[in-house]
Amino acid sequence: MTTVEIGQALKRSEDFRLLTGKGKYVDDISLDGEARAVILRSPHAHARIVEIDRAAAAALDGVHLIVTGQDWLAEGFGPIPTRSAVNKNKDGSPLSEPPRHCLAIDRVRYVGEAVALIVADSEKIARDALELIDVTYEELPAVTDPRKALADGAPRIWDDIPNNLCVDFELGDEAATKAAFEAADHVISLDVENNRVTGVPIEPRGLVGTYDAETDTYLLYNSTQNVHAIRKTIAEDIFKISADKIHHIAPDVGGGFGAKNSVYPEPALVLYAAKQLQRPVKWIAERSESFLADTHGRNQSSKVQLALDSDGTFRALRTDTVGDIGAYCWTIGPFTPTGGSARTQGGPYAFETMYYSSRAVFTNTMPMDPYRGAGRPEGTYQIERIVEAAASQLGLDPVALRRKNLIPAEKLPMKSPMGLDIDSGNFPEVFERTLALSDRDGYSERVAASKAAGRARGFAIAPYLECTGGGPKEFAGIQFAADGTITLSVGSQGTGTGHETAMPQILSAKLGLPVEKIRYRQGDTDATPLGGGHGGSRCLEVGGGAVVRATEAVIDKAKAIAAHLLNSQADDISFADGQFSDAKTNQSTPMEEVVRASFETGRLPQDMEPGCLDSDAIFERGIISCPNGCHAAEVEVDPETGAVAVANYWIVDDFGTIINPLLADGQVMGGVAQGIGQALYEDAVYDEDTGQLLAGSLMDYALPRADLIPNMVIRYYEDAPTAKNPLGVKGAGEAGCCPAPPVIVNAILNALKPYGVTDLSMPVTSEKVWQAIHDAKP
Amino acid sequence: MYDFRYHRPATISEAVDLFRQCDDGQYLAGGQTLIPVMKQRLASPSDLIDLARIDELKDISATESAITIGGMTTHAAIAASSEVRSRLAALADLASGIGDPHVRNRGTLGGSIANNDPTADYPAAIVALGATIITDRRRIEGDAFFTNIFETALEEGELIRAVEFPIPERAAYAKFPNPASRYAIAGVMVSKFADIVRVAVTGAGPFVFRVPDMEAALARDFSPEAIEKLQIPAGDLNADLHASPAYRAHLVSILAKRAVQAAKE
Repeated sequence: MTTVEIGQALKRSEDFRLLTGKGKYVDDISLDGEARAVILRSPHAHARIVEIDRAAAAALDGVHLIVTGQDWLAEGFGPIPTRSAVNKNKDGSPLSEPPRHCLAIDRVRYVGEAVALIVADSEKIARDALELIDVTYEELPAVTDPRKALADGAPRIWDDIPNNLCVDFELGDEAATKAAFEAADHVISLDVENNRVTGVPIEPRGLVGTYDAETDTYLLYNSTQNVHAIRKTIAEDIFKISADKIHHIAPDVGGGFGAKNSVYPEPALVLYAAKQLQRPVKWIAERSESFLADTHGRNQSSKVQLALDSDGTFRALRTDTVGDIGAYCWTIGPFTPTGGSARTQGGPYAFETMYYSSRAVFTNTMPMDPYRGAGRPEGTYQIERIVEAAASQLGLDPVALRRKNLIPAEKLPMKSPMGLDIDSGNFPEVFERTLALSDRDGYSERVAASKAAGRARGFAIAPYLECTGGGPKEFAGIQFAADGTITLSVGSQGTGTGHETAMPQILSAKLGLPVEKIRYRQGDTDATPLGGGHGGSRCLEVGGGAVVRATEAVIDKAKAIAAHLLNSQADDISFADGQFSDAKTNQSTPMEEVVRASFETGRLPQDMEPGCLDSDAIFERGIISCPNGCHAAEVEVDPETGAVAVANYWIVDDFGTIINPLLADGQVMGGVAQGIGQALYEDAVYDEDTGQLLAGSLMDYALPRADLIPNMVIRYYEDAPTAKNPLGVKGAGEAGCCPAPPVIVNAILNALKPYGVTDLSMPVTSEKVWQAIHDAKP
Repeated sequence: MYDFRYHRPATISEAVDLFRQCDDGQYLAGGQTLIPVMKQRLASPSDLIDLARIDELKDISATESAITIGGMTTHAAIAASSEVRSRLAALADLASGIGDPHVRNRGTLGGSIANNDPTADYPAAIVALGATIITDRRRIEGDAFFTNIFETALEEGELIRAVEFPIPERAAYAKFPNPASRYAIAGVMVSKFADIVRVAVTGAGPFVFRVPDMEAALARDFSPEAIEKLQIPAGDLNADLHASPAYRAHLVSILAKRAVQAAKE
């Protein structure tokens, strides 16, 4: 028997399955009689659909169904509503939400928009048919740059939405901020661009859907992050049926990064086809389809202004953002550049006042939805770039400037000027630990070594403060079986992220039961009555919290059984280290024995039934948590070619309690790698004239590869767990990609200081570096 | 992918005969370009003639003055060959930097040069080393082999049997990889023979080209300093997401110097 502890570096129990090709992903599921669906997508960024001639395609042997937007409307299906938490303009009027149907209605608004569904006996026949569908388009002017889309006279993506403005938003005290700016000694301004990126999960999206006429119910296998919420939208909003008519399962999911949290059109299309044809229907995205039709992220253009005094004390922060949301509101698209980016403005620095204003804008591009961090990395980039610019322009030491302005530990708990509840942490201590870790004493030697090799070395440090998000409520259920196995069902969901290890670890640690006896269920609407899925670094916070609450319910009931077994009173029984003890009688019995007894009527108190230990719990967080930390990096720049290499990377993160340091490390490394990707390589760029996605394949869209990612030294600050949830965790999933982009960009600028380069935009490609050096030459 | 007929000949003559009989046949070497293009339905050959089982296309043999490498030799095999490594290290280095391990284990020398992707690495080696392409019917000088973007001197159905690389006194390849594809944004191979210096550039233009100014300067003085001030014109160079013509022109100068330095070491 193996019981485990909270904080133990337990190896991932799912790794053998996943790493030996035994994972079960959607494409591994094939059902008898399965038909294949493909989607005809728009080749144009903006065009009127004049005519769709499907005759030749429909005549092809083996083609069973072709559905267009008009067919879809005729079925009476509803549009997919946005769930953006920011849904009102500054003046209180509602945001502009155009109808989003599963297929384009009479007009296409981005390259890759779904125009028709084709279902055939095989994928090949379906693709043959796709090529035979003749769509006559009348091209319309397109706009892909959100700043240009806002201008008067820009092409209108929606006829009734002026200036392509979805919503305008503000948070903070505008007047107080204005006053603070006027009173401050210095005002530093910087245009800050967060580039457009996309998640590129290793497993593309995929679906298998069936319909059972006898019960009038659907079964949907979906590579998704969120079975419950997506089911509800498909059922209630699109099909106008009750959610329980759809059994929604996410099998193994190969990465999501937010892009699998969206309500896409394909699941409803596949379920519709399954019902029409009375046979299972499968759809698997191709990689090129993933680039075109998975939601994108970031793409914010911000004017950031910092007011500070001559001694370097920060007074106020003001940010004005134009956020691209693509052609539709999608699932929560308008939230990211508005509320999502506002909350953590200013990071861990003390400000008297702040003001954040933002406009979410439609463009002729693939819509945006949360991408790892969803607004907090953008905010971290904005504050860290302006702080670096302030140090540079005022001739201040960037380390000292940051140190001076960090919120002192004794000021916590506090509310930030953006209303963020910062309850715990020690930002100065984390900052100093990161500095100590980064071997500043050896820096000048490393600079000299780089110089001897013809390279310029730079250093930067970036403290950060972010927050969790996603659904506040989570369910956990514990079921015991007579054979000793325990089934743990949780409504949060992993996507390859180790939840199968972490959640049982919590259960095992809390109950003192063997971890290998625990079976884990997730991603199944039949396994949990509710569930918030994966997103917002919420899983340990609320899912883990629910597991703790469920174990507490088990312990309460088990105490009564233990008391019965030990001839004690339940009030005299205490539980620790897997043992129920009565201090008065000095008798004890282990949890495993109590579990065995719970199946034997003769050993149970009179009012308890066999199987009585099964327990459910729902945990709902009151306030979101604030993961924070500090990253430092050294880069080497080859000034001749402009090539950048990340040489060293140091991390001290405060995620509260660390449940499993191996899993936490994995989250941190992945987040940092993704942040390095945004900083140096990734750019989902559209052609301004044609609206075509230029970086539409892995030959053009540069992902960071393992050989480009540095070794990371990772430490955790565990002295400030939060009281906002039972485990004291703060969320680890998105933190890495918050500080990584600014720490890399600032380190590059630090290296290029002797060359006179003061600004660079992400991704900082080798050509941009070379050009900047070239341009800065006197 | 559209339907096609698949053939797996055992000999070169069988392969060439098959090609003649096919409507719109295509030789399949490592398939690292052809298969993805077919999957995207951008190519639709009626017949694929798989060369994988023709053993005579996989030899690496050496004489005093040259190494001859079969057309179906993989990049990984060339990188790992002790013969190539000891006598023509520049070529082994080049092969070891192509794509990723998957590509290197499947992709072949013959397949790569027959495709003549403007950003492929081998063309720089063929031209800089003055290699000869040996086909089923003739010998083609390296300088005459690459004729335009994705075009070569190969006739319809002509099959690359092997490439004969003369052994230079010195040679080195310097490459600046595209961060996404790891093809060359620019790649420069420099070689020094008793009677000639060659500088060949891949990745930067529509297809591989030599730089006579650099060759002349290096013939006088084989040192990085000799070409310090030489810039190639940006005018006809490639422009894409990852590099402008001006940047490519700059990289060619830097890479040429670095290749010369490496060749000297």
